[in-house]
Amino acid sequence: MSPRVPRDELRVLGLTALAVLAFPYLFAEAPVVSDVLNGYAGLATPILIWGIFVMGYDLLHGYTGLLSFGHAAFWGAGGMTVGALIHHAEFSFPLVAVALAVVVGILLAALIGYLSLRRGGIYFAILTLAFGQMIYYTMLGPAGQLTNGEDGLILDASSLFGVIPLDAGLPVLTPLGIIPSWLYAVTGVLTLVSVAVAYRILQSPYGLVFKAIRENEQRASFVGLNVWRYKLAAFVASGAFAGLAGGLHALQAGNASASPFYWIVSGDVVIMSILGGVGTLFGGFIGAGIYLYMDNVASSIGLIGDRWHLLLGVLFVVIVWLFPDGVWGGLRRLRSMVGSDDTTHTQTTDDGGND
Amino acid sequence: MPLLETENLVKRFGGVTATDDVSVSIESNERVSLIGPNGAGKSTLINLITRRLDPTEGEIRFNGESILGLKPHDVVQRGVSKSFQTASIFPQLPVIDNARIAALGAEHGAFRLNLLSRLDSYDEVDAVARETLQDVGLWAERETAAADLPYGDKRRLELGIALAAEPDLLLMDEPTAGMSPEETAATVELIENVKAERDLTFLLVEHDMEIVMNISDRIIVLDRGSVIAQGTPEEIRESERVQDAYLGGADR
Repeated sequence: MSPRVPRDELRVLGLTALAVLAFPYLFAEAPVVSDVLNGYAGLATPILIWGIFVMGYDLLHGYTGLLSFGHAAFWGAGGMTVGALIHHAEFSFPLVAVALAVVVGILLAALIGYLSLRRGGIYFAILTLAFGQMIYYTMLGPAGQLTNGEDGLILDASSLFGVIPLDAGLPVLTPLGIIPSWLYAVTGVLTLVSVAVAYRILQSPYGLVFKAIRENEQRASFVGLNVWRYKLAAFVASGAFAGLAGGLHALQAGNASASPFYWIVSGDVVIMSILGGVGTLFGGFIGAGIYLYMDNVASSIGLIGDRWHLLLGVLFVVIVWLFPDGVWGGLRRLRSMVGSDDTTHTQTTDDGGND
Repeated sequence: MPLLETENLVKRFGGVTATDDVSVSIESNERVSLIGPNGAGKSTLINLITRRLDPTEGEIRFNGESILGLKPHDVVQRGVSKSFQTASIFPQLPVIDNARIAALGAEHGAFRLNLLSRLDSYDEVDAVARETLQDVGLWAERETAAADLPYGDKRRLELGIALAAEPDLLLMDEPTAGMSPEETAATVELIENVKAERDLTFLLVEHDMEIVMNISDRIIVLDRGSVIAQGTPEEIRESERVQDAYLGGADR
């Protein structure tokens, strides 16, 4: 619409950019903080990548109220798009490959959404799970030539414009401990773009219609809205983010295989989404952070080790119990408790009571 | 040509015939009430008109065209909106967003590809939302979560959501059910005001005979799925058949 960026969006983008810049330093380099966290720079990139995935998923689950158990398909397809292009077609433009991963995510989500949204509620969830698993087994077996099954394709040609290897450091910034690698820089920029797009969708009529469908689907259709199309739009949008994240993940892992198509991935996204906060958008990054931290850092602490899943389970219960709207919702509530009087506090509590 | 016309409408649920050969019509600017004892088929008839249910037999025409192939949201887009018997609102959203959703349906049609343009750039949506809330007297409560409104206000919001579509025909399913006498009086006044202001055509399902008698140009009486009488309030008051089936007997 108007060329100038509205103030709320400027604020969101500014804070996101700041967070993306500060995160790897705080996590892996800063004195004290990083020592306590025991974080390392290599984990910063996957946290952003999974964060994009979860944020997109939140548009569907948190805002539109549709629980999908099939989003591994779009994440996997994004990764396989990048993998096949680089490995089979010897394509040397990883960013273009990632853009195509988004397109594949959109197309596949349009197809699976079109079929699954014929049913509502738990039947919808089961249909998405079924389609997701169907695609997983296709990738494992019949399409094994393409995917090389669970071993997958090795991606070694991951360099920016065929010149700069993605895992190389940046001049000046990397030695200062600010941006660990070109891959992080690329992921950071795409995170910013993703947040901008997702936030804008929520500020558009779609954001309101999504919430209307979550709150009262029948009423939404009885004010004359084509609920089905808006649901498909939410599904496709979340598929686009999943495709993008999946493509980046393949670049980051240096591997694209059938494994990311497996249904466990769909479950991981739901867990991350609930940890961070359902219907909070930015909570996705927190949820992804907690999950990957437990998986990669906590699991290497002797006492925890293989029991990290158990610890995650306990943490999950505690978070859901204390903050029904996840860590992000809890932080938001804390802020309104500190920052203002009792009445607004009650109202935020009511907002969070949903779902 | 009548605004709405049903022709030999039959709806069976298994062995139960909910509406049996119902042929009624409503003219533009007519205020019609639908009465009848519980189980007479009033709600079924409303659900058939809004396309929540498919008729077993028969035809429904709006503005002379059949609406049987349409989805519920298409029927709303053609100009028929409905206020529900229980407040069917968007509970966790503020009152103003409830009105905005209704305004979106009315102003933007069933679906638009505008997911990257900001809602606050559409002045017409805000204008309709504001006008709607002012009409139903909820403008001052616009920031309140709809769930936190008192019951009577929830029902007024419900009515507002149905009115935001600026319908050619408004279907009202017991708009005063469960209300206190004060809330009922306020709602009747609201309906009277809107009726005068907007030249509203409506079909009202209502149990309160006083309201029905005062508000309608014509009354249709259903009993066991069939139309047993229709006419002006005076005619209905005097009809023996109606008194036997419905008004007579117990308490009214």
